[in-house]
Amino acid sequence: MTEKVMLVDVSKCTACRACQVACKQWNKLPAEKTQQHGTHQNPPDLSWATWNLIRFTEIPLKEGGVKWLFRRDACLHCTDPGCQRACPVPGCIVKTPEGAVVINSELCIGCKMCVNSCPFEIPRINPEDNKAYKCTFCWDRISHGLIPACAKACGPGAITFGDKDVMIARAYARAKALGGDATVYGDKYVKGTHVIYVLPEKVRMYERMVVNPSIPISLILWKDILKPLSVLAIGAALVGTFFHYVIKGPKRPEEGGE
Amino acid sequence: MAKPKSKNLILASTTFERVVHWVLALSCLFLFLTGFGLMFHSLSFVARFFPGGYATMKLLHNIDGIIFGIAFLFALIAWGKDTLYFDEDDKKWFRVLGGYLWEVEKVPECGKFNAGQKTFFIVLFLFWFIMVGTGIFMWFPIFPPALTRWLYVLHVFGVLVLGTFLVIHFYLGTYGNPGTFQVMGHGYVTKAWAKLHRPKWLRDVEAGRRSI
Repeated sequence: MTEKVMLVDVSKCTACRACQVACKQWNKLPAEKTQQHGTHQNPPDLSWATWNLIRFTEIPLKEGGVKWLFRRDACLHCTDPGCQRACPVPGCIVKTPEGAVVINSELCIGCKMCVNSCPFEIPRINPEDNKAYKCTFCWDRISHGLIPACAKACGPGAITFGDKDVMIARAYARAKALGGDATVYGDKYVKGTHVIYVLPEKVRMYERMVVNPSIPISLILWKDILKPLSVLAIGAALVGTFFHYVIKGPKRPEEGGE
Repeated sequence: MAKPKSKNLILASTTFERVVHWVLALSCLFLFLTGFGLMFHSLSFVARFFPGGYATMKLLHNIDGIIFGIAFLFALIAWGKDTLYFDEDDKKWFRVLGGYLWEVEKVPECGKFNAGQKTFFIVLFLFWFIMVGTGIFMWFPIFPPALTRWLYVLHVFGVLVLGTFLVIHFYLGTYGNPGTFQVMGHGYVTKAWAKLHRPKWLRDVEAGRRSI
């Protein structure tokens, strides 16, 4: 199975939210009670039951009126996933050969370490069963040769899905064609994400779009430095006390005691 | 334990101290067992000891954290007044490190606890605060992810320090200092032990200036 990439060309997105609905439908996710908070973004944020959300950003224009930026927000399926690095349960967060990062919620113990270690703040906890959920890259579809539900439903062709190399080449060609501030977002971060964006505007213009995302330093300090160091320190203490006994010997009270 | 007949023996710890010490010790060891089970995928067999596996192990780790957290409050009552200060003799003790590492003609005299034990207790006090504080907000993360992820760093740093201390503490309390373990066991030690490890304390007790 070759690695796949989902290309999200936001310049083609019309914010119809068919992807949002298709995601709910395929993954059997319940509708959520929502609220009006002044934009068309609905529901306001990702949640354990909303894995795919179109974010609406309004940019006021100098000449009056607004410019609308639409962006599909969901898991980016990192090649080096922070969530997987942080997860204490073996086999709970897995990477598939296609590049999907999948949380096996049955094994999840609700520790929330993935929630706090994701550079994109994607995984969310269902307060009812205290387990983490997020987009699965439709691994149950793509492993059978289908394309993800959101890509299938996308009318204007903003979400496309295919082999990694082909899609990355297509992304750069599209960004070049758009010109101006247009960039490709994803292939350079966390060893390459499997969702790659073509953004007509600068990255920081989009809501909740992380500029230069990377594995959090805290995660490296925690898992790659302090964790092995703690084994080393405890081991050194064991060896040290043993040789203290052998070389210096125990401190015995004078004779006459027990 | 009933008072032994031998005049050579002296009570070195109260029942309260010994019980608190055991609750701390057992809850601490269980925290290490379950914590290591969560920390290392290679130790996944630990989770199989618990019905319900990882979820149960994590919950017991959290609950045991509360037990350890509360037990330490009693430890402060038991040992705070004898540990949370340093005097002139303690400074001298540090200069020779209690004679533990090289030959020293005379180890400066100490009371109930030497400067090393006091340091151990103060470090434990500090890391009790760090481990319980970070643990609670890891269990119930009310802070944003950008902050909560740093709690994991502090928590594992605590594992490093406390794990190292635990090994050294165990060594010094057992075969490194023969006779010491009974301070935590039935409570009675020989006077020769007390003269070596608690000279000022022994004089105070024998003169009736303090009970234990």
